[in-house]
Amino acid sequence: MSTPPTNASINPPIARIQNLKVHFPIRGSFLSFGHKHTLKAVDGVSLDLAKGEILGLVGESGCGKSSLGRAIMRLIKITDGSIEIAGTDFLALEGKALRQVRPNIQMIFQDPYASLNPRMTVYDILAEPLFTHTKLNSDAQMAKIKQTLDLVGLNAKTCKKYPHEFSGGQRQRIAIARALILDPKVIIADEPVSSLDVSVQAQILNLLKEIQTRLGLSMIFISHNLAVVKYISDRIAVMYLGKIVEIADREALYKNPLHPYTRALVSAVPIPDPKLERARKRIPVGGELPSPLNPPKGCAFHTRCPLAFDRCRTEPPQLIAHSKSLHRVACFAVEENRPS
Amino acid sequence: MEPILELKNYQAHFYTRRGIVKAVDGISFKVHPGETLGIVGESGSGKSVTHLSYLRLLPSPPLRIVGGEVRFKGKNILTLPDRQLRDLRGKSIAMIFQEPMTSLNPYMKIGAQLIEPLLIHTVMNKKDAWKKAIAALERVGIPNAEPAMNRYPHEFSGGMRQRVMIAMALTTDPAVLIADEPTTALDVTVQAQILDLLRDIQKDTGMAVVLITHDLGVVAGLADRVVVMYAGHVFEEGSAEDIFYRSAHPYTLALLKSTPRIDVPQGALPVIPGMPPDLSRLGKGCPFYERCGYHMDVCVTEFPTSHQFGPEHESFCYLERPPQ
Repeated sequence: MSTPPTNASINPPIARIQNLKVHFPIRGSFLSFGHKHTLKAVDGVSLDLAKGEILGLVGESGCGKSSLGRAIMRLIKITDGSIEIAGTDFLALEGKALRQVRPNIQMIFQDPYASLNPRMTVYDILAEPLFTHTKLNSDAQMAKIKQTLDLVGLNAKTCKKYPHEFSGGQRQRIAIARALILDPKVIIADEPVSSLDVSVQAQILNLLKEIQTRLGLSMIFISHNLAVVKYISDRIAVMYLGKIVEIADREALYKNPLHPYTRALVSAVPIPDPKLERARKRIPVGGELPSPLNPPKGCAFHTRCPLAFDRCRTEPPQLIAHSKSLHRVACFAVEENRPS
Repeated sequence: MEPILELKNYQAHFYTRRGIVKAVDGISFKVHPGETLGIVGESGSGKSVTHLSYLRLLPSPPLRIVGGEVRFKGKNILTLPDRQLRDLRGKSIAMIFQEPMTSLNPYMKIGAQLIEPLLIHTVMNKKDAWKKAIAALERVGIPNAEPAMNRYPHEFSGGMRQRVMIAMALTTDPAVLIADEPTTALDVTVQAQILDLLRDIQKDTGMAVVLITHDLGVVAGLADRVVVMYAGHVFEEGSAEDIFYRSAHPYTLALLKSTPRIDVPQGALPVIPGMPPDLSRLGKGCPFYERCGYHMDVCVTEFPTSHQFGPEHESFCYLERPPQ
């Protein structure tokens, strides 16, 4: 299979994901006589993550953004496709070899109440990865823990405390420290600020941005919140029913969204300004999200799309560059330059 | 105009083993007929507890209403006997919640749930109630309303369930609808639909809507007036324009500035340092002073009195002029 052209930025990609598929078998009920369904959570996603970039991944619930994140981490079974991390074929690795590469890619989860073990102190939480993956002695471990806590804005004295003694924002700092402690190259952050209040959310967003710049990390930032994604990301991919429908630089995506779904999504985000918000024209999305068990043929969005025409109902559109730019979109109406 | 709902120095505290949690500590505001009042605040600000408590939807103990008045059409409802309050809750003040899956009974067909308030709170017979419920479902945009009456909540999507909730609230033609984070659990495109629906329905029925939310964008689109709450207190009240363009309270301003938005480029977001205070350990002063860039000595010792910035714009802060 030939490699599709990717918009490798100035830097070589640190992670390269090609045609990734995550299909969950759904066991039918007793009455369906072994008839099997497949839920195509991620259905052929190709992405390059450049070194030092933050790639935002947005979409509504059920679009597969979290499954994609977890698949890249190899936390769930991958049906097909390939993932390269820093030049190595991540999916080919097993056992010891896999363990050696794992520190390179770390994850931050949405709910810091669920992702931290309540029976472990901050020290335990941060020492465990060091113990598993490094040969540091206890002094060196302590030094690393202190340094990492300092990086996320926590006092070294917090080491002896348990997660319940912290607020949501501080817990998320602990979770970030845990992700950073092995000096990863790639961070996957899955809705890291969604459970936080606005006043704390800004602190964590700024922290993530600052750390990313300081350490030169690459990050995939998964969120349903388009405003948050816009703030933090360099580039943004929009997902719908397991596929990327549009990917572009931040400014391009918000100023000039091309895919009808992206347009509707951007137009639906409320703006905290009464005059602007009331004068805005929304682009409505008709109907309901189709069942991912039985996605529409052709373009998955055609059932709700105001621009849909015959070709959309039969042929799945590919993600292709729009007017030779880095802005790529999977839409026949855009491809054929139909009036919108 | 006479307010339809008025809170005067209302206080609701939780008496817990760890101490008294002053969830709502002396708040006052009015809701006028036909208006949408937005109540904005973060978790723990008391924005939901305020309404849940006077509608007696919270267990007591630990909750205790320790002071103030809540007047509906001029009458203090805090002193009403339970029976009368239940009637008021069913007929005059309706409430919809954030998560429609948990607020609908999963074992009951939605038709049965929709006619229940009508059978209990009005003299309508079952047949008329059924018809009215179908009309309500049609009004909120449920396709095929008649067969939908015989479906269970799980057969609907999140957005459709919220529509059912709204239909249920509408059947008894309430004078006030309290919408507690009605779109927080929904995706943005669905949220937009539900907000449009609320706006339309309010225009049609002329009921007052109290929209409780943490999302400033949602408030900007819907609210005529806005109340900003923090740690059980009202910090600022004014028209939507007052609050968004002429914020007089440092907290309101900080909140607006630290909210990511899609329409303007933002450099580093200004941050509100620290975190919301522990409500069981509040001092006498302003609960925001530790996080406030403008705080003075007096803020530590005494909760500020209100400063009037316009005919309906007031801020509970010692600052004489709005912060920049």
